[in-house]
Amino acid sequence: MSPDPNLITRHAPIDRVFHWITALAVLLLLASAFLPILGLQFSWVPLHWITGVVLGAAVLFHVVRASFFQRLRCMVFGPKDLADLRSGRRAAKYTPAQKLMHAMLGTAVLVATVTGFIMLAKVDTPLWKRNPYLLEASTWGVVYVLHGAAALLTLTLTLLHIYFSLLPEKRGYLRAMIGGQMTRDEAAVYHDPNRWSGQRKDDPHENNR
Amino acid sequence: MEIFRITRNAWGQETLEGMSWDLLPVAFGLGVAIIIGHLIWRAVRKPRTAPPRP
Repeated sequence: MSPDPNLITRHAPIDRVFHWITALAVLLLLASAFLPILGLQFSWVPLHWITGVVLGAAVLFHVVRASFFQRLRCMVFGPKDLADLRSGRRAAKYTPAQKLMHAMLGTAVLVATVTGFIMLAKVDTPLWKRNPYLLEASTWGVVYVLHGAAALLTLTLTLLHIYFSLLPEKRGYLRAMIGGQMTRDEAAVYHDPNRWSGQRKDDPHENNR
Repeated sequence: MEIFRITRNAWGQETLEGMSWDLLPVAFGLGVAIIIGHLIWRAVRKPRTAPPRP
């Protein structure tokens, strides 16, 4: 069966698997962190640290893949994006808003992950024994503040991310994150086909300028 | 409203415990406020469409 010429590839299967593993992990982490604070008591620590380790592995995979196997600069917000916003020029693969959301959510998740891994020193697991004296009390305080601030920011940004993904005019992006593809007409609303065509099968970033 | 959770240790010294969970409804409310703001902006702006194909 020949591929539909009206469909273009936006996300490779491996990137979609990463996205949905990350999404599930973040939702489980937010729930296991905040529901006990809201009064829903359950044994949240095992769920939280195990999910955190899964998220850490996913983040590490993504950092390596994005840094060495994809074009990192196509996701970095820069002066060109400001110029695009001013001129009304359509984007390449990622719009300025998508780049900003990725930068903020990525930073928050990265800070939460790094501080979370440090906090693993305070949890007894089958793999290691807790060592609460790894850091001084004041340093632990800084780690907790960073972890909490990152978690609160992640909560706000996750709400916004889910909201934008459900808007009818953005539904093509959601479909692309599920099935990998969107229609040319959907893409053409926000993306210049001369800057991002999504035509090359093995590299969805093709033509990204 | 507190920004940080601070306790005192056995020697009476203040110890930082983390972010105050008073900020949890603030974080949630900020997200909801931005969503409502965007919904209003979305309702009044002209919808964006793709330029006609050549």
